[in-house]
Amino acid sequence: MTAVLAPARPGADGGRAAFVPLAVRETRRFARNPVFLFAVAITVAALWASRTTVTDIDDGNWVAAIFLGGFGMMAAFSLTRSLRASEPVVGVTPVTLPARTAALCTVAVVPFACGGLVLLRFVQLIPVSNAAYGAFSPSARVAVLVGQIVIPSLGGPLLGVALGRWVQFPGAAFVLFLLLYGWVSLVTILAIWHPDSAPVAVLRLFAPFAFFTYVLNAGAVTTCRGSPWFFLGWQLALCAIAVLVALLRGAEGPVRARIIRALAIAGVAAAILLVLAGTGGFTHAITA
Amino acid sequence: MMTGAVLRAGAWPAVAGLSGVAVVVGGCGAAFPAAATVLLPVCFALLAAAAAFTLDEPASLVVDVTPTGPVRRTRIRAVALLAPLAVGVLVMLAAAGRGLALPWPAAGLALAGNVLLGFAVACVARTRTGEPGPAVATAVVLVLMAPALVPPVARWVRTFPAPGAGGPSPDPVWWTVLAGCAVAIAISLGGRRLPQWRSRVP
Repeated sequence: MTAVLAPARPGADGGRAAFVPLAVRETRRFARNPVFLFAVAITVAALWASRTTVTDIDDGNWVAAIFLGGFGMMAAFSLTRSLRASEPVVGVTPVTLPARTAALCTVAVVPFACGGLVLLRFVQLIPVSNAAYGAFSPSARVAVLVGQIVIPSLGGPLLGVALGRWVQFPGAAFVLFLLLYGWVSLVTILAIWHPDSAPVAVLRLFAPFAFFTYVLNAGAVTTCRGSPWFFLGWQLALCAIAVLVALLRGAEGPVRARIIRALAIAGVAAAILLVLAGTGGFTHAITA
Repeated sequence: MMTGAVLRAGAWPAVAGLSGVAVVVGGCGAAFPAAATVLLPVCFALLAAAAAFTLDEPASLVVDVTPTGPVRRTRIRAVALLAPLAVGVLVMLAAAGRGLALPWPAAGLALAGNVLLGFAVACVARTRTGEPGPAVATAVVLVLMAPALVPPVARWVRTFPAPGAGGPSPDPVWWTVLAGCAVAIAISLGGRRLPQWRSRVP
């Protein structure tokens, strides 16, 4: 038994040994990407350097999603595509494509950490006890902020890697960015029109980012339908799907079968969590 | 014959695909008038991106040294701008048909400005690379969406006319952009020659 297992260990160590430097290298490349640096600069300017006072959470909760998430997606997409030209050389190295994709996925740690800092700053600007968060409980308010600030910062770059692995069109990232921006705007406006509709609530949450409150009349905060906790689960399921779809490219044999099985499970989980997010929480909009 | 060959070589899948996505986004803007002021600028930005792909030439290494000059090639390729312009006009007609109250002359000017901006930046970038589309489209889209993405920018510059809203009018911006684009196109066509790295024989 020992003789059978013994040769496997150096290989496994070798794989891990190759993965760590690759991940470090990709993370360094991502952190120096001009698009990502621009996104960080804008985020800092909006939430740290700005002299205007943030009184409504919808004034600033989208900044990280747009810049760390959206621009992070574009940066990760360009990073992933940049390796295509060297594929004939890189492709013959002992490191498999899924391993290289996994190393690329680790770059999402950088915007994720930035998202964490933005969350801390946001809570400093508008404490969780503030009435601007609507009718949610304190824990649900934290879930709203994590879902609006931290998870999009993580998911955007992961989506960019998946897109870069599968889509040939070089402009795919900005097209997807515009589509997501348009979709979130559209369903938010629909939700304001039909605040008590369950299907519209599900549509509003069928996105990687969603608003949970809005202010129409000065001072009156309306809390939307939906459960922030289940929405957080839906977002994490989307992140898992993005990673699995990215890893699927170039995967062969039992690894491919395992990824497809995991994708099916993540897809079912995402669907269940989306329905729970739309139907859970408040059953109608609350204005206070 | 030359016109057909130059047109055939264009990046039609990108131009048509982006115009198609713009139709969907603009159609949603026409269908939901409350979201029109958000979705129509996105639609126009996509059309600007489509215009940025019209000059892409994968075979530029060969094409750039043929006797057909850059002015003629660009003039022929400019015909492809009719696709995004037609899509924009179609979307505006659909929105007007749905009773959307927008200052339509200003919206038309914004459409022309968006498309020409994408084309002009592509013209300038074409002097450096054979396929400026992806980089130019991304840059143009980000610039055009800046007022929507960065609210302080909207206080100074607006790229799309909003019905009855205060704030700056987009017309002066677009007239300036149109004039700047005309100058940029003229200069880039006049001064287009082989990039230095390509003029050297290995």
